[in-house]
Amino acid sequence: MSQKINLRVWLKIPDAEAATVKNTLVRRMGFGDVLYDVLKERLFSIEVDSGDPQELAKGFAKELVNENKESYKVLIDELRFEDEYVPVLVSLKIEDGEAISTQERLRGRLGFTSVVNVKKATIWKLYLHGVDRVARAKEIAEGLLINPHKDAYEILGE
Amino acid sequence: MKIAVVQFPGTNCEYETLVAVKAVGMDGEIFRWNRSAGELSSFDGYFIPGGFSYQDRVRAGAIASKEPVMQALTEEAAKGKPIIGICNGFQILVEAGLLPGTGKVEMALAQNVMVSNGKIVRRGYYCDWINLRHEAPPRRCSGSFLMERGSLFKIPIAHGEGNLVTSTPKLIEMLNDEEQVVFRYCDKNGRVINEFPVNVNGSTESIAGICNPEGNVLGMMPHPERAFFAWQLPAFDPRKQRPDEPGPGRSVFESVKRYIEVNA
Repeated sequence: MSQKINLRVWLKIPDAEAATVKNTLVRRMGFGDVLYDVLKERLFSIEVDSGDPQELAKGFAKELVNENKESYKVLIDELRFEDEYVPVLVSLKIEDGEAISTQERLRGRLGFTSVVNVKKATIWKLYLHGVDRVARAKEIAEGLLINPHKDAYEILGE
Repeated sequence: MKIAVVQFPGTNCEYETLVAVKAVGMDGEIFRWNRSAGELSSFDGYFIPGGFSYQDRVRAGAIASKEPVMQALTEEAAKGKPIIGICNGFQILVEAGLLPGTGKVEMALAQNVMVSNGKIVRRGYYCDWINLRHEAPPRRCSGSFLMERGSLFKIPIAHGEGNLVTSTPKLIEMLNDEEQVVFRYCDKNGRVINEFPVNVNGSTESIAGICNPEGNVLGMMPHPERAFFAWQLPAFDPRKQRPDEPGPGRSVFESVKRYIEVNA
């Protein structure tokens, strides 16, 4: 039976890309009254068909996370997020070459032969005021975080 | 005749572009993104050069497209003034909705995917000298105003995201029907072959450059400013030994000049 190992990875140092997104949303796109912070994570969803997922996750993290500058969290067969922000998952809807390369590298060069699939995504963590947080998150996703001709998004926990 | 070469943080081809603008007899200056956008109206035309605006954060061109200067350029485009986006400039114009020109984001310039014999052989950043075929009739587009349909150019590319994709129904058909496809990648004989290495990035129908319906806004992935003088050509090109000759990219800049003269 296959299991999905979700690896949430974020920078311990300041994330310039998240800061730029926040700056653009607040200063250029009129979200200053509702948005008070933006953070970002990388998400690897790695499907395996055998092995101890916790042990495998440690091995994946060793290869995919640079612990000098990044932290990570492992979730097996689930994807939970904290309540204080709206998590927006953005992924490519066209072929994701980086995910394919990651899968090939894990299976081939690094010997993780139980890996059957790898998906990559970005999680934008939108810290929003107000009651209609999901609607505002959708506006932000469609206004800046995706290009609908190549990306898809999902508000997690909606 | 005054040209603004728009510079964002991360732009890296502004100086070569300005040299090319001046070398064909136009006046020009580098216009920083944080100047008052209203000042742009005093210019007769605009170049958005290549580079990595805002370090390609989120995706190439996305952040720059939200800057006030882009709103100002949208207003200048509506007046019929020429705007040429080169490489990252093309990506910015797409994200701003200025290309293909409906005001909405109708397409994406996605990560390069090089396909040969039905297999992906390479992905991502690629730079090389490539061949380009001019597809539009003369005078259709500001940046190719003086070019004959079918004329060929050897010109450099350098990008990681130039793969034109769209989920807008019939967009490609419309671009073809309205002669908005300005350049396609081709081989040295002008044949369009939709596979790597002729199609260098997997772009739909080998499209390398498009214009808006009015023809005044052009976006192109190749870099004409890097082939402006013959001495910029690669060592294997015999024209490199004749440094006084113009390079193939010069015609883009001469076209813009002529377009402005005709439409003044």
